[in-house]
Amino acid sequence: MYDHDLLIVGAGLAGLRCAVEAQKLGLKVAVITKVHPVRSHSNAAQGGINAPLTDRGDDWKGHALDTIKGSDYLADQDAVEIMSQEAGEAVLELERMGVIFSRGDDGKLGTRRFGGQKVARTFFVGAITGSALLHVLYEQSLKLGLQVYEEWFVTSLIKHEGAVRGVVALDLKTGELESITAKSVVIAAGGAGRVFEPSTNALICTGDGLSLAWNNGAGLMDMEMIQYHPTTLARTGILLSEAARGEGAYLLNSEGDRFMKEYAPDYMELASRDVVSRSEQTEINEGRGIDGNVLLDLRHLGKEFIETRLGYLQEVSVEFLGIDMAEKPVPIRPGMHYIMGGVKTDVDGETGVPGLYAAGECANVSVHGANRLGANSLLDTVVFGRRSAEKASEYVKSVPNDIIPTEKYVKRDLELIKNIMDADGKYKVAEVRNKMATAMTKGIGVFRDQESMEYAKKIVDQTKIDYRDSIRIENKGKVYNTDLLFALELGNMIDCAESIVHGALTRKESRGAHFRTDIPGRNDEEWLKHTLIYKSLEGEITVKTPDVTITDWEPIERVY
Amino acid sequence: MKYAFYPGCVARGGTPELLSSSMAVLKKLNIEVEELTKAGCTGAGVLQEKNPLLGDTINVRTLAMAEEKKLNIMTLCSTCQGVLSQANHKVKKDPEYLKKINELIKDEGYNYKGTTEVKHLLWILVEDYGLDKLKSHFVKELSSLKFAPFYGCYMVRPSEALGFDEKPERQEYLEKVIESVGATAIDFPGKFSCCGFPVLFINQKNSLKMVSNQTGSAKDLGADAMVTPCPLCHLNLDGYQGKARSNNRGDKADLPIIHMPQMIALAMGIETKDVGLGRHIVSTKEILNKI
Amino acid sequence: MKVSIDVKRFDPEKLNENHWVQNYKMDIHPSSTVLDALIHVREEIDGTLGLRCACRASICGSCGMRVNGKAKLVCKTRIEELAEEGETLLIEPMGNQPVIKDLIVDISAFFAKMTQITPFLQPDELPKQGEFIASNDSMEKLLTEMNCIMCGLCVSECTILEVDDTFIGPAALAKASRFVYDPRDSQTSDRLNFLNDEPGGIWDCTRCMQCVDVCPKDVAPMDRIMDLRETAIEIGAKKTHGYDHTNSFEKSVVAHGRLDESRLALESAGIFNIPRLLDLIPVGLRALIKGKLPPLFPHKAEDNKKIKEIAKKIKEME
Repeated sequence: MYDHDLLIVGAGLAGLRCAVEAQKLGLKVAVITKVHPVRSHSNAAQGGINAPLTDRGDDWKGHALDTIKGSDYLADQDAVEIMSQEAGEAVLELERMGVIFSRGDDGKLGTRRFGGQKVARTFFVGAITGSALLHVLYEQSLKLGLQVYEEWFVTSLIKHEGAVRGVVALDLKTGELESITAKSVVIAAGGAGRVFEPSTNALICTGDGLSLAWNNGAGLMDMEMIQYHPTTLARTGILLSEAARGEGAYLLNSEGDRFMKEYAPDYMELASRDVVSRSEQTEINEGRGIDGNVLLDLRHLGKEFIETRLGYLQEVSVEFLGIDMAEKPVPIRPGMHYIMGGVKTDVDGETGVPGLYAAGECANVSVHGANRLGANSLLDTVVFGRRSAEKASEYVKSVPNDIIPTEKYVKRDLELIKNIMDADGKYKVAEVRNKMATAMTKGIGVFRDQESMEYAKKIVDQTKIDYRDSIRIENKGKVYNTDLLFALELGNMIDCAESIVHGALTRKESRGAHFRTDIPGRNDEEWLKHTLIYKSLEGEITVKTPDVTITDWEPIERVY
Repeated sequence: MKYAFYPGCVARGGTPELLSSSMAVLKKLNIEVEELTKAGCTGAGVLQEKNPLLGDTINVRTLAMAEEKKLNIMTLCSTCQGVLSQANHKVKKDPEYLKKINELIKDEGYNYKGTTEVKHLLWILVEDYGLDKLKSHFVKELSSLKFAPFYGCYMVRPSEALGFDEKPERQEYLEKVIESVGATAIDFPGKFSCCGFPVLFINQKNSLKMVSNQTGSAKDLGADAMVTPCPLCHLNLDGYQGKARSNNRGDKADLPIIHMPQMIALAMGIETKDVGLGRHIVSTKEILNKI
Repeated sequence: MKVSIDVKRFDPEKLNENHWVQNYKMDIHPSSTVLDALIHVREEIDGTLGLRCACRASICGSCGMRVNGKAKLVCKTRIEELAEEGETLLIEPMGNQPVIKDLIVDISAFFAKMTQITPFLQPDELPKQGEFIASNDSMEKLLTEMNCIMCGLCVSECTILEVDDTFIGPAALAKASRFVYDPRDSQTSDRLNFLNDEPGGIWDCTRCMQCVDVCPKDVAPMDRIMDLRETAIEIGAKKTHGYDHTNSFEKSVVAHGRLDESRLALESAGIFNIPRLLDLIPVGLRALIKGKLPPLFPHKAEDNKKIKEIAKKIKEME
């Protein structure tokens, strides 16, 4: 039995930033993660991190406005204000920790342009910003001697007398189930890309954190807001950063036209991601695509520029498609990439469930609303990761030093695992997941309507039944039983899919990434609201629709 | 067929048998060589640790000498092959750097344009001369012998400097030549490994472990000898095999290490004096008995 | 495309016969990577196969393995480039690290080596406001090492780690170079002295280039180690055998145009290092008997004065 002040689920950017802060504040911290920290999906973020720096003549209000407009006015403006105000210091802090940000001629941090923003305020490291930030935070965690439960999978939260007091987790190396108690838990376990197929996300992005929080009384907000990234590589779906467009790349259709001039004459390729994805999909649907893709053209940027500023993109293009970006345009298409939705929190990561906090992609403050701007996710993770640590450090002072009887929670999960191991149904786990994920992409895609969403719901409902009754596991071992792990992850994915489908069917308008071809307009009068979904212990779903918080920026028509 | 000849320092120093057997083979094959007597040592990667510019300059100077004669360079040593190829590759990729180096050698009248090719005798035999033609010179049967190929690091890494993108088959030439003399090339997993020579004077314990591992495992796989195109590998695997094996495996140095041209010379029936098998530390008597 | 793979398997939960090679056959997309094939096995053929993978896009570093004996990141290794249709590929776990199960190895030693080299920025003092000022060039130079995704392929193939696990290793030494060359770090000479003096430090690399060859991100760890050697000499770090070796080599080449092997052996051992010198005697004697002792007066290059001149010019340039 292990015990901590703060236990953080997930060792990506949000998790590590939270941990580093909490450690500095003197808490007894540990991070629990199902992969080694540097394998966390934060490393896949490429383009950069936004911050309005006032010494360069930028203004936090400019960033806030761009973010709010980008969110199609669904973001809670008080939360955006905080993120924009704290962004500058957050990025400078990272630089001081050692991140090798690109520089301008004056030796200060340099910028590149990014989608949906009027000025260039995206700070970057080549095309590996996420990886660069993650590795530096990992270095800091080594410096501070952070304790990490490495390759442990959390099977459930321990909720004791109404407050979250720890987790039950599976040590993947031994197959043993153990309880870890803590006075507070921060969920920073990332997104749920694997609920869709294809997706830019890693195989580990299975919505574990969302499911854990949802099953313990936290609400999932705006889950229908699924970001389809405009430039994912043909066939493999690997991400090609927005940075390419930020540095000047063009989007071309089969006729060689820069088609964005029809959809976003002002911002062109740097309009918000949902606008660009829809534009691309329209071109493809109307016959101006090439095998279901459009083209990303970087030829005019020159080989040397590409290989220095966009090196990783060139590597991906050459290795996976055999295309040299300096010679030929690259076929790309929209691909599922990010969930704006997530565990509802306030600006300090509080979920409303005592002792439970959330930060990063799995949380929804909401700063991204109906569409996230590129380079705001990295910002989100460090700002709210830090704030959660601060808040949790206050909270834990009020938690008594009692000993929680954890046996019953461990026993409960042992039962769960035994049921899975003994199951002898007709489907393999991967089969069930593939069927659901493909249906989710079809039903909750770049464009959706009542029929498609109901189709998705039908498949999800069937998947729930199949999961309960008809799966089987071949691997009966204990050491690194990935068969079991996938079954547990599938349960989490189904929770996410369910909440996404409910959110999608609830919102009767089009806003940001949720574009209904049957209700194409934005309806501020009735729908300037969030969808907020709860699940009771018995599995009953309740939907609420709280208002969006508006401070200084009245919603207007969103034009790029 | 004519080449600018670059025998390397060791062929004239610690492994004279390499030079004598190579010259004998070249004579039989009618391959003409003109030695680059003014050329300096490649640096073997060691000079480059302290003074990379000096190393690159000396090597580009060597390349320029051959270019002036409109000849490609023939090397006898994997390390020379590798270091010269790396220098060649570096200046071809970076014209600014080549310019800088040409400045340093211009008062001798050299101006390297990047056209020289560097080829080890092993590559020349397979690519330029041809194995079928080579076989026609063989008079002795080596079919009862099993050889373990040992290339030497500099002959197989880094792949881009050695032209493996265009000619990946270069990573199999040693086995091909072994087979051409009728012997069996053992499927030796350590064929691309390191012999430990570079750390011999720095960390002898590690160097000897490597010698023991490589010679020991080749012996375990049934090899009668190890064949190598690199005299530096030879020096370590031959010269230190006794100490290495007794320290690490507790057995004796019983694996002869022969130079690649010596093997060819044996197949050609060339006089043993020129082949120089008597100069080895680990006795080669067994091989001679088996032919 | 028909694919056939042989996977070297290990099941720690079996008492005997727990190592075996298992073959899997499948028909998958022609551009499939080795990882695609392994995932196919795991999802459709054999759920007991253990392997690590996550991003499928060569950025997370999880999927390092040996394919046909060579260490690769399997998510970006296309099958059609390695094998004809139907030809069997051999897949084994990475080397130099203990196998936990199937293709999963214990990476704890890999990360422990990182902690040995103080892997975090150590500035003198933080700027009073804003960021450290640094040139873009200096930051871009560090990009080469920052591209390291800690996949472990270099460690898997490192010739020295195979015989000596006290060697700090290519990945950690490359990571150390990232701090040595960061203008914001104030511990440069301490770091260099540590890397220079410490047994298992920068002079223990045998320059076999395996790490350069297998690195999927062009970090070229050996080149980073060579950079560190050059810089350690420049700052006047303690003269190790490695230093003596390269110094003697340089002197020899400049003086004769060629290598003076005997002198090299003596100077690398250390002229005053009696035990090491005595150690050389048996080898020297054997060589003398066999007629392969390098000549006392080495064979000079013709016109070796020219090389001396070049060396002088270069010295003046610096």
